[in-house]
Amino acid sequence: MNDAFAQIGLGPFLTVGAALLVLGVFGIFLNRKNIIIIMMSMELILLAANINLVAFSAALGDLSGQVLTVFVLTIAAAEAAIGLAILTVYFRNRGSIQVEDVALMKG
Amino acid sequence: MMIQLVFYVFAAVLIASSAMVIFAKNPVHSVLFLILGFFNAAGLFLLAGAEFLAMILVIVYVGAVAVLFLFVVMMLDIDFARMREGLQRYAPLGAAVGGVLFAELAMAAAHWASSPVMPEPITGGLGQPGGPMTNTAALGTLLYTHYILLFQACGLVLLVAMIGAITLTLREKPTGRRQVIGKQHERMRADTLEMLTLPLGFGTDANGGFLRPAKGYYDTAVPGSYGVPAAPEPPREEVRKVDGDAP
Amino acid sequence: MNWTLALPEIVLAVSGLVILAAGVLMRKEEAFLPSATLSVAAMIVSGFLVTTSSSGFGYGDVFVVDAFARFIKLLVIAGGVASITLSIGYSDGKSALPFETPILMLFSTLGAMIMASSANLMTLFVGLELSSLSIYILCAIERDRVEAAEAGLKYFILGSLASGLLLYGASLAYGFAGTMEFAPIAVEINGAGALPVGLVIGVVFIVVGLAFKLSAVPFHMWTPDVYQGSPTPVTAFMAGAPKFAAFALILRVMMGPFGAMSPRWQLLIEVISALSMLFGALAAIPQRDIKRLMAYSSIGHMGYAMMGLAAATPVGTRGTLVYLTTYLVMNVGVFGVISAMRRRGREVTTIADLAGLGRTNPAMAMVMAICMFSMIGVPPLAGFFGKFMVFGAAWNAGLYGLVAVGALSAVIGAFYYLRVVKVVYFDASVAPFDKPAPSIAFVSAAMGLATVLFLLALGPVSEAAGAAAKALVG
Repeated sequence: MNDAFAQIGLGPFLTVGAALLVLGVFGIFLNRKNIIIIMMSMELILLAANINLVAFSAALGDLSGQVLTVFVLTIAAAEAAIGLAILTVYFRNRGSIQVEDVALMKG
Repeated sequence: MMIQLVFYVFAAVLIASSAMVIFAKNPVHSVLFLILGFFNAAGLFLLAGAEFLAMILVIVYVGAVAVLFLFVVMMLDIDFARMREGLQRYAPLGAAVGGVLFAELAMAAAHWASSPVMPEPITGGLGQPGGPMTNTAALGTLLYTHYILLFQACGLVLLVAMIGAITLTLREKPTGRRQVIGKQHERMRADTLEMLTLPLGFGTDANGGFLRPAKGYYDTAVPGSYGVPAAPEPPREEVRKVDGDAP
Repeated sequence: MNWTLALPEIVLAVSGLVILAAGVLMRKEEAFLPSATLSVAAMIVSGFLVTTSSSGFGYGDVFVVDAFARFIKLLVIAGGVASITLSIGYSDGKSALPFETPILMLFSTLGAMIMASSANLMTLFVGLELSSLSIYILCAIERDRVEAAEAGLKYFILGSLASGLLLYGASLAYGFAGTMEFAPIAVEINGAGALPVGLVIGVVFIVVGLAFKLSAVPFHMWTPDVYQGSPTPVTAFMAGAPKFAAFALILRVMMGPFGAMSPRWQLLIEVISALSMLFGALAAIPQRDIKRLMAYSSIGHMGYAMMGLAAATPVGTRGTLVYLTTYLVMNVGVFGVISAMRRRGREVTTIADLAGLGRTNPAMAMVMAICMFSMIGVPPLAGFFGKFMVFGAAWNAGLYGLVAVGALSAVIGAFYYLRVVKVVYFDASVAPFDKPAPSIAFVSAAMGLATVLFLLALGPVSEAAGAAAKALVG
């Protein structure tokens, strides 16, 4: 455990992570405007998990948390690329990325 | 005490900018706040001793993913009138983001007292590589040995993302001209070149000019491609004259 | 290090890369058939390697192969092979799929196999993402159809939300248990008197994420739209491989590390199971589209399969595994028939379009009827044995309420399955479908036959499932 981390402690880091998670989930469910904001909220959720992982990794003195963070960053990049590709396809078909428009099929 | 202060500045800016990501009216602002948020998260990573991840977050995330977002926002946003409205409207916001960023970077530089060598090498109890290692070296040692399978699987994830992005969005233009290597190799000299032996003093004009090959560029080109009219014309029968001397 | 443990996965990955390279070099229109055939071949080889692979931990204990992993992997591969075969016939028609489709299915299957073998939260996450990301793309792969684009978008948004929550849960579980590996987490749980609350929250998040992939109620809302919008072979794939893998993980986590504290989570699983069964049965009744109907049906089936988990006994786990096997067989059979529903090259998917199939194409009608009866659970078809085993396990575990709910929803479900059979045989016929492509006809016929003759395979399957359950509970 390094010095700086020992002075701050685990709690504040987890609090930041939890706040980001809440903001991300909020962003997904409250947003009625734009799908791209929803995707950014997803990035916030992943960032929340990353902060948790790094903090725990420092607290436990175990690097596997940081290794998972490396993987998560990789996968999140892939996910963003795919999401934006699907969004582009959708935009080409509908000419809009409004959340309200995503309701072609009902039931 | 100073460290705590640094932490709370980073944390506060991170949370505030994340809130702005969600509540900003303009998606371009959202992306900019997302970038600011990632910078601050990188600061938190530094405080927790994860130097490599902090750098990766800035380089990979801000450099690639966030910019990708920006790209798509710019591409998809249909409200161009508001976009063009302007630089001066974005300028104060940009300046503020830049200012905060600069102040933080200065702060991080001043207080990044952490040694380049980690005090305790942490390897997850997976066998000590021996001696103190930097965070980056320790991560690399783990990634390429212990977690090699997952590392490779992550490579596959990136490959899948690439396949997906290409399959979903690449449109091959019907007018595009592709190189067909086989055809190119099969082409003989006789197909394109005609050797004529002319008597001395006998001009090309008198001979009817040099002949283009019977099937030239304009006959084989896809209608609509460069220099070719969109509607196919009836095939040209007459041979065209070429001015000038022999090529 | 025993690297041969992951040989089936490595073979599959390398073949995927080779097929991709070959496909890129070929002409676009001609690449589909070779890439699909080669993918099927690679998966069959990989399946064979799975049956011969040895047991044990490998790759720094992130990867485990045991009877349970082998069982799930074989199910996953079978689902993948069937869907790719369906896609060959589907692509014959007007709406040709790009040649990447089978390759993405192959990679998704690979991800599901990694999930089945995970002994570590990291392996779980990486495998899950490899599997899901491929499916997001597959949903939207018919990029000029607006329904497909919308299905892809919906599945992507809700799916990545679920992955994010799962990851957050994994981070909490890691922090409070102090390790990413399942086995030490089990030790931690069994040793400590009171569980740290962070660990419990973490596990709840993980279960929510996996329940989403299973489309169990209350995380089911994406299912009907995505099933309807995606190309039919992709729907068939989604109903199979990823669900088996998610089930594998739930079983592994619940029966492994958390096995000792089953009384605490039993109620949660019971509620999810009961709600899924009831909702699947009730919401399916007003449906007009056969793919939506199958979506609700799959929600219900996941509820039944969970019944075995709710019993929290090795017998229950065996029941769940047998149930999943029977579900695979009859589900692929139905989707085979759905893939064949084309008129003049255009796909039609309403239930009314099936009218009079009994006269215009008796063989297809027969497969449909067999699979529908099997889904109801009529003996001696495949579905009966699965239902019988999970109901038995739940009864023996004393979950009488759950058994009653299950029986009730089976009766309600019988109504809409029988309605399909009625439309097929007794309604006035509309125009006949196009002649089904050989691969589709083959898959549906084979699955119909397997549904009827499942009794013959029951012995070996339930024996393998028993061994798998034993490997899990230890």
